[in-house]
Amino acid sequence: MEDIKDKNNFLRIFYTYRPILLVLPALILFIIFFIIPVLSMFVLAFDKPVTGVLDLQGKWTLKSFLRIYNRSLYFDAAVTSVSLAALASLITLIIGYPLAYLIAKTENVARNTFLMILVLCAMQLDMVIRLFGLMVLMGDNGLINGALMYFNIIEKPIGLMYNKLGVLVGLVQFSLPFMVLSLIGIIRGISPAVVEASRSLGASPNQAFWKIIIPLSMPGILAGTLLVFAISISSYIVPALMGGWKVMVMPLHVYQQIAEMGKWQFGSAIAVVLFCTSLLSVIVYQRVAIRIGGGRA
Amino acid sequence: MSKAKIREVNELGTLVKIGSGIALAILLIPVFIVVLTGLNSGDHLTFPPEGISLRWIFAFFRSEEFLSAFLFSFGLALITMTLSTIFGTLAAIFITRFSFPGSQLLRALFLSPLILPGIVLGLALYIFYVSTDIGLARSYPGMVIAHMLVTMPYVIGTVSASLFNFDLNLEQAARSLGASPLTAFRKVTLPNISNGVMAGSVFAFIVSFGQFDVSLFMATPNNTPLPIALYWSLRYTFEPTAAAAGIFAIALVITSMLITSKLVNLQKFSGVKFD
Repeated sequence: MEDIKDKNNFLRIFYTYRPILLVLPALILFIIFFIIPVLSMFVLAFDKPVTGVLDLQGKWTLKSFLRIYNRSLYFDAAVTSVSLAALASLITLIIGYPLAYLIAKTENVARNTFLMILVLCAMQLDMVIRLFGLMVLMGDNGLINGALMYFNIIEKPIGLMYNKLGVLVGLVQFSLPFMVLSLIGIIRGISPAVVEASRSLGASPNQAFWKIIIPLSMPGILAGTLLVFAISISSYIVPALMGGWKVMVMPLHVYQQIAEMGKWQFGSAIAVVLFCTSLLSVIVYQRVAIRIGGGRA
Repeated sequence: MSKAKIREVNELGTLVKIGSGIALAILLIPVFIVVLTGLNSGDHLTFPPEGISLRWIFAFFRSEEFLSAFLFSFGLALITMTLSTIFGTLAAIFITRFSFPGSQLLRALFLSPLILPGIVLGLALYIFYVSTDIGLARSYPGMVIAHMLVTMPYVIGTVSASLFNFDLNLEQAARSLGASPLTAFRKVTLPNISNGVMAGSVFAFIVSFGQFDVSLFMATPNNTPLPIALYWSLRYTFEPTAAAAGIFAIALVITSMLITSKLVNLQKFSGVKFD
C-alpha cells in the first residue's frame, strides 16, 4: 500500500513538475537536426566559395550573393522563379475559387465530405505520380497531341511541355488543393445574412457576388495566393520534369551546384535566397492568417 | 434557406459548377491517366487507347526497381509515422497544456519545417551530415530523421487541435474524484484525443510516403524511396510499370484519406496549419 502511494507520488512529481521531459525528445531533435543545419547552411553561404571544399574557412564574403546578382544565368533563374510562382498563384486563385465556394456554401454534408476527400487525396498524392499523368497528357507523343493529330487538327506535335507553359500547368496542378483549402474556411465564414441584406436592398446576384462575397473573401484570397506563391517557388520536381531542365529556376540550380558541381558555398547562397523569398511571403501569409482565423488558417 | 438565397444559389450556381468542374478536372485527370496507363495493354498510353490488361501490374510485381522502392517507402513511412507520432504527441501535450514564456516560439519552431522549402531543408541536412561526418550522410537513419522533421508538424498540428477542443473540466473532474494527474490524463484525456493522434499519424505516414524534396539529397541506390525511383525513370521514359506502382500509391492515399475522414471532421479541416 505504502509502495503504491510512493509510486503515485513519484509519477505525480514527474507529471506536475517535470513536464519539460515531454517536449525534450522533439526539442533535441529539432535543435540538432533543424536549427543547427539551417544555421550552418546560412553561415556557409557567406564563406569564400571554393569548389569541392565544404569545411569552414572563415573567410567571410558576399561573393556568392554578388555572383547570383551579376550572372544573368542565376539572376534570370530568380526572375523566372518569381514570375512563374506569381502567375501560378493568380491562375490557381481563378480556378480554385469556384470549387472552394461550392464546398463552403452547399449544405449537403455527404457531397462536401466527398469533395473534401477528393481535394485532400489530390493534395497528398505523391507529386511525381501526378506529374507522370500530366506528362503522358502533354508530351509530344502524349494524349493531347495524339488526339489533335488523330482528328487532323494539327500535323505535327505542338510543344506543350519542356517549356514555361508546361511548368506553369504543373505548378497549378500542384498548388490548387492548397488554394482551395485556404479559401474554404473564409468563404464558409461569410454570413448569408449579409448577402441577403444586399439582395433585399436590390443588388443582383452578380452584384452581391462581386461587391459583397469577393471583398469579404479577401483575407482568404490573400492567404491562399501567398501560400501558393511560397510553395510554387520552392518546387524542385515540377520544373525538373515539366520543364525538362530547359526552364531553369532556383531550386534546380541549388541541386545542380551541390550535387553535380560540388560548389557548396554557392549552392547554399542560392538556397538562402530561395528560403528568404519564400519566407517573406509566408510571414505576410501568417499575418493575414492570424487576422482571419484567430490564429488558425 | 430563404427564397432570396435559393434564387441566388440557382443563378450563380451554374457558373460555380462550371468553375468547380474545371478545378476538379485539373486535380483528377492526371490521376486517372496514371491509372489508365498502368492498366493499358500497349507499350505506352496512346490516343485512342489500345485496351485493358494487367500486364503492367504483373510487371510491377516482377520489377526489381519499382517494387523494392515501393516497399522501401512503405517501411520508411511506417518507421517515420511511429517515431513522429510519439515525439509529436508528447510535444503537442506540452505546448498546449503548459503555458510558459516562449511557448508560442516553441510551437512556431515545431511547425516551421512546413514553411521551409523541402529542397532547402534537404540541402541543410545533407551539408550537416557530410560536414560532421557522423555516418548519417546517405544513410537510412539520416533519411528517417529528415522525414521526421517534415512529418512532425502534421502530428503536432492535429494533436494540438484536438487538445484545444477537449474540455479540461473533464480532466479536472477525474482529478477531484481522486485520480492522479497521470491516471486522469491516461483514462480521460487520451481516449478523447486519440482520434486526433491517429489522424496525425495517418498524415505523417502519407506525407513521408510521398516525400520527394527532402529525400532528394539523401537517396542512394540502396536507399531509394518510390518518388525518387519514379523521378529517375520519368526523366528518360514513361514506363507503364511506373504507372502500375502509381496505382498502388493512389490506392494507399485514398485509403488513408477515407480513414482520416472517419477520425476527424473534414468540414473543419483546413489541411495546412501555420499558426
